[in-house]
Amino acid sequence: MDELNSEIRRLTLRVWDEVLSTKVEVAETVPTSAGPVVYSCVHISDAWNGVVALSCGERVSGKAAARMFQLKANPTTVDLQDALGELTNMIGGILKAILPQPSRPSLPTSIAGRDFSVRFLHSRVLTAVPFRCDGDFITVAVLQRHAASL
Amino acid sequence: MSDTQAKPNLIDPKLIVPFVNSVRHVLRSTAGWESTIDKPRYKQNPGLEYDYSGIISFSGTVLGTAVVSFHRELAIALVTAFAGCELPVDTPDFADAIGELTNLIVGAAKTELGMNASISIPSVIVGRGHIVVRPSDIPCIVVPCKTPAGEFAVEISIKSAAATKAA
Repeated sequence: MDELNSEIRRLTLRVWDEVLSTKVEVAETVPTSAGPVVYSCVHISDAWNGVVALSCGERVSGKAAARMFQLKANPTTVDLQDALGELTNMIGGILKAILPQPSRPSLPTSIAGRDFSVRFLHSRVLTAVPFRCDGDFITVAVLQRHAASL
Repeated sequence: MSDTQAKPNLIDPKLIVPFVNSVRHVLRSTAGWESTIDKPRYKQNPGLEYDYSGIISFSGTVLGTAVVSFHRELAIALVTAFAGCELPVDTPDFADAIGELTNLIVGAAKTELGMNASISIPSVIVGRGHIVVRPSDIPCIVVPCKTPAGEFAVEISIKSAAATKAA
C-alpha cells in the first residue's frame, strides 16, 4: 500500500507539472467540494481487476482543459471531462505497470454534474490520495475488485 | 432531446442486436416485463437526461463503454420487480441493484457479440443531471427501450481495439 500511495503521489505531481505546468501539493485529508465535480475513471482488468479514479473540482479541471487544449474561450463541460479523462488515462496507464501483469486498461469514462455520487460494485477502496491545487481539490483513488466476484 | 435519428445504414446491426436481445431477456427473466425497442439513433452530445446510470467498460479486443440509464420512477419500479421488494431509494443497495441489472444486460450482450473482450465491474452514477462522456472518437448509439413502467436507454459506444491501433 505504501508503494501504491507513493507512486500515486509521484505520478500525480509529475503529470500536473509536466503536462499542465501546474504545481499541486499533497493534502492531509480527502476534501469534499461544495461545487460541481468532474470525475473520471479507467478500469483495469485481467491479472488485476479494479479502477483508477480521478476526481476534482470544476476550477481545477477547467484550468487543466484550458492548458491541455490551449483554449482561449471558457472550456465546455465536455472539454473538462476530456481533459480529466486524458489525465486519468496517463496516471492509470503508468500505475498499471506496478500491478500484476498482464492487465488491460479501458478507455476513460468521465462524469460531471453538481450533485452526483459514484459507486463501484464488488469493489473496495485500496487508497484515496488527496491533493490541493489553486485552492481546489484533486483526489486519485484506486479500487480493487473483490476476488469472490470474479 | 439532443439526439438525432441516424440513417439506418450507418448503424451496424451486429452491434445493436445483442443488446436488444439482452434487454428483452433480462427484463423478462428478472422483472417479468415485456419490452419493445425503438429505432436506435446516434447521440450527438451529452444531455442532462437521467437520474441513474450503470456503466460498464470494455477492454481487450473491444474498447469503449455501455451505459444503461434510467429515470427515477422507472428505476424504482424495475428495482422493486428485480429485488422482489421495495429497496430504499438512494441507498447502496438500490445503486447495487441498478449495477447488477446493468451487468446482466451488458454481460449477456457481450456473450452474444462473441468478442474476446473483458468487461469491467459496473459503476453506478446516482444524481439528477449527471453527464457521462466517452472518448469523442467513438460514436455513441442510443437504443431506446420501452417497458410497462416507462422508458430507459442503453447507450453503446464501443469499437474494436484493432481500429484504435490502426488510427
